[in-house]
Amino acid sequence: MTRHPPAIDDESLIAALRLTAGQDPVPAHVSAAARAVFGLRLPGAATARPVVTPAPRGVRSADEARLLRFTAAELTVDLEVTSMDGLVDLAGQVSPCPEAGTRVEVRTLHLTESRELSATGQFAVTGLPPGWFSVVCHRPERSPVVTSWTRIRP
Amino acid sequence: MASEAPVSEQHAIDAVLAGDQAAWDVLVNRFSGPLWSAVRAYDLSAADAADAVQGAWLRLVESLHTIRDPDRIGPWLFTTAKREASLLSRRNRGERLIADPAGTEHSHADPALAGQVHPDPAVAVLTADEGRRLWLAVEEMHEPCRSLFRLMATAPDAGVHQLAGRLGMPSGSYGPTRGRCLNRLRTVLTAQEATP
Repeated sequence: MTRHPPAIDDESLIAALRLTAGQDPVPAHVSAAARAVFGLRLPGAATARPVVTPAPRGVRSADEARLLRFTAAELTVDLEVTSMDGLVDLAGQVSPCPEAGTRVEVRTLHLTESRELSATGQFAVTGLPPGWFSVVCHRPERSPVVTSWTRIRP
Repeated sequence: MASEAPVSEQHAIDAVLAGDQAAWDVLVNRFSGPLWSAVRAYDLSAADAADAVQGAWLRLVESLHTIRDPDRIGPWLFTTAKREASLLSRRNRGERLIADPAGTEHSHADPALAGQVHPDPAVAVLTADEGRRLWLAVEEMHEPCRSLFRLMATAPDAGVHQLAGRLGMPSGSYGPTRGRCLNRLRTVLTAQEATP
């Protein structure tokens, strides 16, 4: 029998035809954003990965807050995501509550917001642009913990 | 893709790992165009396509320290971007969620930069040589496939209604016809590969 190479999926064939046709070049802002992404690396940070949280009681709808949980070895970040007028609000809880002086950064591709963590480990950021975001927890004299990038589009 | 690979991949990756922005820009310049085409093929809007591509670069930055084999970066980027694109495409057709559960659903299925990735005809096809070969095959095809592919490739933002209208077929026929044409194209390519 002849060898059987793995089949190419439909989308890859379409992509290849279009790429060669050259009618849909990558927009300059997309390449620029990809270059800028390099500035967002955090060598030495521990990544907090998303974990499935039990759905809150009741039916979830687009209007309701969405709850996300990220865990690293020694830290959990819970986020409540709401959106209003096309912008995104985040309310977060870091637990166990880190030592005083811990600072939280909410990063997007366009801007970074910094907050002191409250005594109970909470923080909030409002009016974020929709898209990718990540939360960094900077603790005094310890390596940072960063939530893996997550996309929010209202 | 091998024909386009720089001689010193390892050197380039070492530079990226050392924080060299210029080395990163080389990666971006090399893969941006093909990644864009790869995600747009999921019928995504420009905004969603940008999100899918950005997601792949962000995950690469997040995973840089796990790179063992620089040859895997390309396939890894494509696999990651296509997965985001597929997820967005399904989301657009169905339920609306505020936040992306991609990470939640797939965190344990992340393709490892160090290990197995998508075996990759899907990546290999995204080169200039392969593209030309595809178009040569398309030019040999019968209608409506030839016109359909030409139209699909040159009007990336056209909707199904518009494409179907220009091909003179009902909107409901466009998807199935495109599927059949793609199958035929795949058959032609496979036959070519089997005939040295």
